[in-house]
Amino acid sequence: MSETVVHGEAIEWSEEEEEDSDDSEEEYTSPSQPLSSANFDKDRHLVYLQMMYELLPYHYQSQEINRLTLAHFIICGLHFLGATDRVDKDEVANWVLSFQAFPSNRASLKKGEFYGFYGSRSSQFPIDENGDLTHNNSHLASTYCALAILKVTGHDLATIDSESLLLSMKNLQQDDGSFMPIHTGGETDLRFVYCAAAISEMLGDWSGMDKEKAKNYILNCQSYDGGFGLIPGSESHGGGTYCAIASLRLMGFIGVDLLSNDSSSSILDPSLLLNWSLQRQASDGGFQGRTNKQSDTCYAFWIGAVLKLIGGDAFIDKVALRQFLLSCQSKYGGFSKFPGALPDLYHSYYGYTAFSLLEEPELSPLCPELGLPLLTSLGICKGGGGNHQKS
Amino acid sequence: MHGRPRKAYKPEEEAASAAKAAKLRILQTQFMSNHHNKIYTKEAVDLSTKLLEINPEAYTAWNYRKLAVEDKLSRIESDPDLVKTILDEELSVVESALRQNFKSYGAWHHRKWVLSKGNSSVANEMRLLDKFQKLDSRNFHAWNYRRFVVELTNRSEQDELKYTDNMIGSDFSNYSAWHNRSVLLSNLLARKADGFLPNAKIPDEYELVHSAIFTDEDDQSGWFYHLWLLDQTVNVETPLLTSSWPSHGSRINLSAGCLNDSFSKLTTFCSESGSFPLILYFDQAVGGVSSATVTIDSELKGNEDLVWEPVSKKNSQMSSVWVAHLKYMSSEPCFRKEYEVKVRVGNSPGIVSSRGCNFSKSYEFIFTAHVHDTVQGSQEDIVSWTDGFDIWDAESKDLYSLVNLNRSNAQMDFKWRQEAIAEEIILFRKLSDSKIGKLTLARLLMAKAVISDDVVKGVDYNEILELYKDLMVLDSSHYQYYKDEHSVALLHKVTSSTDDLSRHLFRYRNMNNSVCLRLNNLSLSRIASVAKLLFVQMLDLSHNELHSTEGLEAMQLLSCLNLSHNKIRSFSALDSLRHLKQLRVLNVSHNHIGEHSVDTTRYLCSSPLSNSEWTQDEVGRKTPNLVTKYWDAYFVLRDLNLKQLDITGNAIARDEFSSFVLQVVPKLVWLNGKKLES
Repeated sequence: MSETVVHGEAIEWSEEEEEDSDDSEEEYTSPSQPLSSANFDKDRHLVYLQMMYELLPYHYQSQEINRLTLAHFIICGLHFLGATDRVDKDEVANWVLSFQAFPSNRASLKKGEFYGFYGSRSSQFPIDENGDLTHNNSHLASTYCALAILKVTGHDLATIDSESLLLSMKNLQQDDGSFMPIHTGGETDLRFVYCAAAISEMLGDWSGMDKEKAKNYILNCQSYDGGFGLIPGSESHGGGTYCAIASLRLMGFIGVDLLSNDSSSSILDPSLLLNWSLQRQASDGGFQGRTNKQSDTCYAFWIGAVLKLIGGDAFIDKVALRQFLLSCQSKYGGFSKFPGALPDLYHSYYGYTAFSLLEEPELSPLCPELGLPLLTSLGICKGGGGNHQKS
Repeated sequence: MHGRPRKAYKPEEEAASAAKAAKLRILQTQFMSNHHNKIYTKEAVDLSTKLLEINPEAYTAWNYRKLAVEDKLSRIESDPDLVKTILDEELSVVESALRQNFKSYGAWHHRKWVLSKGNSSVANEMRLLDKFQKLDSRNFHAWNYRRFVVELTNRSEQDELKYTDNMIGSDFSNYSAWHNRSVLLSNLLARKADGFLPNAKIPDEYELVHSAIFTDEDDQSGWFYHLWLLDQTVNVETPLLTSSWPSHGSRINLSAGCLNDSFSKLTTFCSESGSFPLILYFDQAVGGVSSATVTIDSELKGNEDLVWEPVSKKNSQMSSVWVAHLKYMSSEPCFRKEYEVKVRVGNSPGIVSSRGCNFSKSYEFIFTAHVHDTVQGSQEDIVSWTDGFDIWDAESKDLYSLVNLNRSNAQMDFKWRQEAIAEEIILFRKLSDSKIGKLTLARLLMAKAVISDDVVKGVDYNEILELYKDLMVLDSSHYQYYKDEHSVALLHKVTSSTDDLSRHLFRYRNMNNSVCLRLNNLSLSRIASVAKLLFVQMLDLSHNELHSTEGLEAMQLLSCLNLSHNKIRSFSALDSLRHLKQLRVLNVSHNHIGEHSVDTTRYLCSSPLSNSEWTQDEVGRKTPNLVTKYWDAYFVLRDLNLKQLDITGNAIARDEFSSFVLQVVPKLVWLNGKKLES
């Protein structure tokens, strides 16, 4: 990975940017608007991801701190395209492993710190002369991304120190069941409950979280309209709803037959959830993240995966969704948030997952609850990379 | 930034950019070194300010600042002015970071952290929020932060409600504002705040939303709020008892065999088991129905510890329908033939809705059970469904009590609800040209029907039916939804009065003149109004467009059911029939069972994964391959006590399946119209 400082946009749920109308420079009309093509253009996406793998444009500068996240979009994106052979998997895995935080000894595990993965070099502090980590900034989201890349590159997760990772992850769970992303403090919401659940799943070990508490927090986030907000009482949101449903699935509280259960017997209201989710498909075929907002590529995954997970994906207008996504496919490869805009890694990755959800033959199948390619040999690929399945 | 076009760079710009990157890198290294060495001097802290101004996403810098603030606060003891200065500095850093990036989670969190210290001016926060929310009115960080600040202060929900007035006033398509309004209003109404009684407030809300939906009919936000309002108008949180069988004041005849014609067939229940079902039908799913919360006062022996069962999926303790089986024959000789039964629902608290609301107040109903000894041979002939039906011509007061639901326990003031809906109806009748206008009018008219406490004249079902018919044509992509709603309205119409209902009642000559409700040939796609049909024992739903039997599970007396010529595509669509312990005759001929491997018309269907216990039972052990192949049929049929089954005219009805049915239902006498060799 290039170590150039990069610059870009928010990784978390994308929101419409407020247009700055004073700035006439922004009133730019592209001489050749990226034409929407009739098909998923795999070759262009490959070129795009490889380009991003070599060097990130300056737009990503402010995302320096989320370096592992950007890497995750690229490496897992390449896996969806069946092209992880374009990178040196061992090198990538070693690079990822270099971000792991270690406790100096067993006793320090009890001090309340979390030992996961750093988001990037700029948050990584060296160990001091006593062997202590003065500023441990490892983060739940980076840890999710790190494990995802390791899995996809075929690295044996059994070789990493998952015990201290999970044991220390417990320190991040709050009394209300939610998670902080980082032990020094941070906002708590459904995103990090999801990260904790996905990490536990990938490591095959649930000792790092109290599932019952997490479940109660999640259920508190369901709004009266059926969707979930990121925190209790907030407006229903596609990202929050994904985190809620995927976490419940990962923790085993809901099954593939959620919709077939009587709504009164379920821990949440499935038919209301189905209603809310289906109503997010807008008349242009795309999915919006919240009521009465513009359709956006990434919600094709966030909401599409929710529908898949509850067994309601048969009700998606797949033809219309495909058309919308194709209108966001860039002529440079990758996907943009809205039709005609420039592509970015975040929307490209969730464009791939969305196409995989639509069972595009050129893409590897998706594991909707993890948001990753489906790896049948979940995690344990002995002997390093290169031998995991392609669909 | 997102969605913004890229331009080609001139060489000097590129040079500037490179210089900027170099500067940033130096800044970052210095900052890291300060953080590492716990240096919290002014210069060091200023460095982190610079870093955050360039990049608000650098959460390490936010956390550094928290440590620095704690460090400073620990030195100055308790000088309130100094504390304030330190914290205000943090607020201004956050403010400029938010100018860079409105959506920086780290920046918003830092602000919350500062505010929780409790030394900052909250008025300032509200001013700042007003500014930010004007610039980006749907930013959910800002809305969440607003709720946080409001909670910290004594700012009233009333004032916040006014704020949503302003936001909606300046942009009515802002759903975040509508959402916040619905949350605030729910709280105010729930605690009956001054001036927030539903009967006064809800009508005002209708006024407000009209201005939005009639300004731009194509904008969704107002319509969603209107739907929410309608829900607040119609639905009462307190669970109510909608109906029961036997109903209040009724007189039922009970017998082990068939009775002769001198008794009203409407109210005669014959069963060999010596017990009859007592059905309670609530307006929403409730839990906690037990012999403690529902008491029975009668001389019928052996009913002291009644077992109440929810009529819903296994393992669920929540259901809108509950049933208990009352014994009426004991081994002791009975001296009386007539028994009065008093049922008291909600005798002690414990009946609770899924939202945690308690059952209104205890409610009592009384019926008389007349026990007959006369036993004639039980019915063994085939039920043909094609002929032998005579028109029902009897006036019956029993019927009248059936179509009148239990509203006596509804202490709710329905008047303002009815008035509010009546006004909406007047308005939308004038403005129902668009699809959403027609749909809203249809929903309003249905709402009117639902909350009318008596059999009202003036509910115009035909108008509702016409609206849905129009919509099916105008908006074919939602055809099935309109079709279902049309069916619901039609069934409400059919059950709305004794006149309407009796038109569909027939006597079935071949079965001792039993009463049959015939709702055939109505192009029904969905079942509704079951609360009024609990008395039905013989039901003809043939020649409709049903794809599921959902709803029929409440009809615990049902013994003969005709579903031929419908659109049922799988046995799991018949899942609800498993609750019908009296069902003996089932006709599902001429449907689409077996044509498709997956029933895409329904999302509510069981899967083999949710049933695994079959591997242990006899048929499962003997023919695991057939059970695997016909699992959906197996799980339904094995729980029924059928004597007659007709499955002809379905793709599944081949020899292999027929022989499988015989194994699963050994007591079957008639299969596909042919008597089986015993």
